[in-house]
Amino acid sequence: MNNNYIPTIGIEVHVELKTNTKIFSNSKNGYGQMANSLTNVVDLGYPGTLPTLNEKVIELAIKAATVLNCKIRRQMHFDRKNYFYPDNPKNYQITQAETPIGYDGYVEIDLDGEKKKIYIEEMHIEEDTCKSTHKSGKTYLDFNRAGVPLIEIVTKPCISSPLEAKLYLEKLKELLFYTDVSDCKMEEGSMRADANISLRKNESDPLGTKVEIKNIGSISNVKLSLEKEWERQTKMLDNNEYFKEQTRRFDDKKNDTVLMRVKETGNDYRYFPEPDIPFVYITDEMIENAKKKIPMLPDERKKVYIEKNIPEVNAKKLVEHRELSDFLNSLLDKNVDFVVACNLLLGDISAYLNKEEKKLSETTLTKEKFIELVNKVSSKEISSKNVKDILKDVLETELSIKEIISKSGIKNISDDETINKIIDKIIENNQESVKDYKDGKDRAIKYLMGQVMKETKGSVNPEKAMNLLKVKLQSI
Amino acid sequence: MTNYLEKSVKEINELLKNKKIKPIDLVNEAFERIENNSELNAYITLNKEEAVKKAIELEDKEVDNILFGLPIAVKDNIVTKGLRTTAASHILENFTPIYDATVVEKINKNNMIIIGKTNMDEFAMGSSSRTSYFGAPRNPWNKTKISGGSSGGSAVTIAANDVLFALGTDTGGSIRQPASYCGIVGMKPTYGRVSRYGMIAFASSLDQIGPMTKNVYNNALLLNVIAGHDDKDLTSSRKEVEDYTSLIGQDIKGKKIAIPNYFVSDIVSKEIKEKLENVIELLKEKGAIVDYVDMKYLENAVTLYQIIAMGEASSNLARFDGIRYGTSYEDPNGIYDLYVKTRSNGFGKEVKRRIMVGSYLLSGENAKIYYNKALAIRDDISKEFKKVFEKYDYIIGPTTTTTAYDLTDPMDDPSKSFMDDVLSIPVNMAGLPGLNLPIGTSEDNMPIGMQIIGDKFTEASIYQLAAFLEKEIDFCGGVKYE
Repeated sequence: MNNNYIPTIGIEVHVELKTNTKIFSNSKNGYGQMANSLTNVVDLGYPGTLPTLNEKVIELAIKAATVLNCKIRRQMHFDRKNYFYPDNPKNYQITQAETPIGYDGYVEIDLDGEKKKIYIEEMHIEEDTCKSTHKSGKTYLDFNRAGVPLIEIVTKPCISSPLEAKLYLEKLKELLFYTDVSDCKMEEGSMRADANISLRKNESDPLGTKVEIKNIGSISNVKLSLEKEWERQTKMLDNNEYFKEQTRRFDDKKNDTVLMRVKETGNDYRYFPEPDIPFVYITDEMIENAKKKIPMLPDERKKVYIEKNIPEVNAKKLVEHRELSDFLNSLLDKNVDFVVACNLLLGDISAYLNKEEKKLSETTLTKEKFIELVNKVSSKEISSKNVKDILKDVLETELSIKEIISKSGIKNISDDETINKIIDKIIENNQESVKDYKDGKDRAIKYLMGQVMKETKGSVNPEKAMNLLKVKLQSI
Repeated sequence: MTNYLEKSVKEINELLKNKKIKPIDLVNEAFERIENNSELNAYITLNKEEAVKKAIELEDKEVDNILFGLPIAVKDNIVTKGLRTTAASHILENFTPIYDATVVEKINKNNMIIIGKTNMDEFAMGSSSRTSYFGAPRNPWNKTKISGGSSGGSAVTIAANDVLFALGTDTGGSIRQPASYCGIVGMKPTYGRVSRYGMIAFASSLDQIGPMTKNVYNNALLLNVIAGHDDKDLTSSRKEVEDYTSLIGQDIKGKKIAIPNYFVSDIVSKEIKEKLENVIELLKEKGAIVDYVDMKYLENAVTLYQIIAMGEASSNLARFDGIRYGTSYEDPNGIYDLYVKTRSNGFGKEVKRRIMVGSYLLSGENAKIYYNKALAIRDDISKEFKKVFEKYDYIIGPTTTTTAYDLTDPMDDPSKSFMDDVLSIPVNMAGLPGLNLPIGTSEDNMPIGMQIIGDKFTEASIYQLAAFLEKEIDFCGGVKYE
């Protein structure tokens, strides 16, 4: 791509908060239900109704502000944003314009091994609108989403590339997901991103004309749409074409951004403080209580795993599977082989969970049972093949590992005498290979070892068998 | 026609307890009275069928409280499940709510019987009830005079002896001013004392529901029923509810009473001032201490009120868009056409005027220049009252500057209607309780009222003074308690 211009990017993200009920009413907060089944008179903006305030929303917003390193406002209020639109039941949205709960924060991204801070201008609480669907000339309104709690997170215009934008969003998603603030599913709309981008020649130039790209469906499309927009604006600037501030959207099929509207003179939302909701005071206690509920965050988890000798690539994979990572974290104070534990979780156990479409919590695996399994593997009492054989019993029955092993008939052949007897038999039946080995053909020992494994149906301690085999061959 | 509704509440209660009468007798009598007074146009909707049904249901129930079985009229901006609620607007002409306001739930829980929905100014915007889509109510004292407003219908039906109890709402004087014009007792409680849930909002930070009755005791009884914290209204107070009748009958000797000089300035008519003078003399005679005080900002209250009330109203009334409920323009050409036509046809002139002024006041920089500034000065008004209440138990004055004027008086000066409320508005601005008590009549035999204002949550004490004066003054043949 032509890199004559430097992009300046800002990102606004809306995330739906994971609460049981809506922000200003006691209707259920849910997704994928029958249209308008999760609504009441408050959500529909019926005459005479008043908002209540879901305290869980404040707690989740404090958690989010904390992990985004924001300052937290101690005295805040809500404001009304007035505009007419069919998806806006009261024709005003309750939001925070003047006193956002969080401000002046940052998120750290890892850019080719370098850390970069993406600065957060502010994050505020607001209510979601209803969902409108346009079909054959008609508009259908589903108010299930109306009043779902949102936080909007606004960065400063400090993002310098589409890649940074992508890394920021990935990081944001990881943080909000790990703190149980939101399930952050872009495909279900519980996380939505708008990006804006302007170009200029030099860092010292004033910012160029801003173009906003709305409602982008995935993080990779944010990167892609910003790249396309960078390209499009570059061409226009090179051709001395003038363009106005505008809003565009990303079209998956065209693989490009499409004009939605050119920005008119500033919208007048007639903001004023919401008189139906008194000021909210955020106390030290509320902040402490919210912080207590923040679990170990992904970056720290990775660090801890690497300290436990888990390879970085696996540490990353674990963090991507929060349930597995949480499970492993529950063992952190135990003296177990974390490499083996990690391999079991990411290997056979993950494979099983994927195949069965189950969560770890839906299996019979307990912390104690897992430790037993890890210890058996790390002490070589059972082989990885054995693990595969007994996995179903491990995950689907209440039996202990010891009971499973004895039930499955695995004989862990680890006493020297037994192994030597088997080796003797193999050597006797494979004199050719012994000769090859003696002639210096290293491959022969692998063949002989394979015969030993075959003879024992894999239940021999392989390391021990190999050593004994070597000793035996040398003694011939 | 029977005359049960001319008896005292205690007498009626005894009759019900002793099975001498049944609730249906009261209901039938109320409807008969309303029918006889139909030219007063006090009601927008009558609840005849349901009221009769409820009265018959109550026959099997124990008479469990003093208001059991008594008919009550409800202002038509308070929603009632299954009973049309119009706020006197064309836009809600056919609106039947699917839920009850909290005060309505409380009335039902006390086994009172809702008799109908009373006439009012459209969305409570006005002070003569003449902005009602259903035509203005008439003053029972003189049918060519206004009832006052916006709770005009409630004041009229009480003054006409149709029923003993009514609910009104008061944003800038809408309970006290019609109570004054119609010669009844009307209380605007402390902001937050009564839940607003289910009251169709006009100006959220000022609106308050309150009782309207013929006498002080009944008024306190009804406040006992409707007061209290409500989880559904975040602005409702958690302060515990008292028995508001508890101080009625106690002496007022030694009570300190302030009269702001502004309240007896030239804006008030001579005869009203004279009647108030009589009350002041009486108070002094009975051992109260009465002082005249200067209070800042009172003369600015109307301007500030207009900014706050119209700003909030412009937003509160945005929801009437023809999409989810209410009158809707039938064949719109797109969404904006639906908005424009529904609202242009649905709202009356005064409502549209206030929405437009309110929208302007909140536009762009204006919100800071006007609305936010008005909120700040409003705090100063509160502080000014607070200062007075550090030394005094009550502030008193006239409720209105004149008595009820002619229904045919011009309505072309919109600021005139606010001036009707010049003495009542400061009370809303400070969130205080205020009560109108009739204290006499004018030369042309129209009622004159005085206003008793107390510090926040001193309703019981206001009733104490009001009941004391009520007994002494003997307005319009006196009152019956026992």
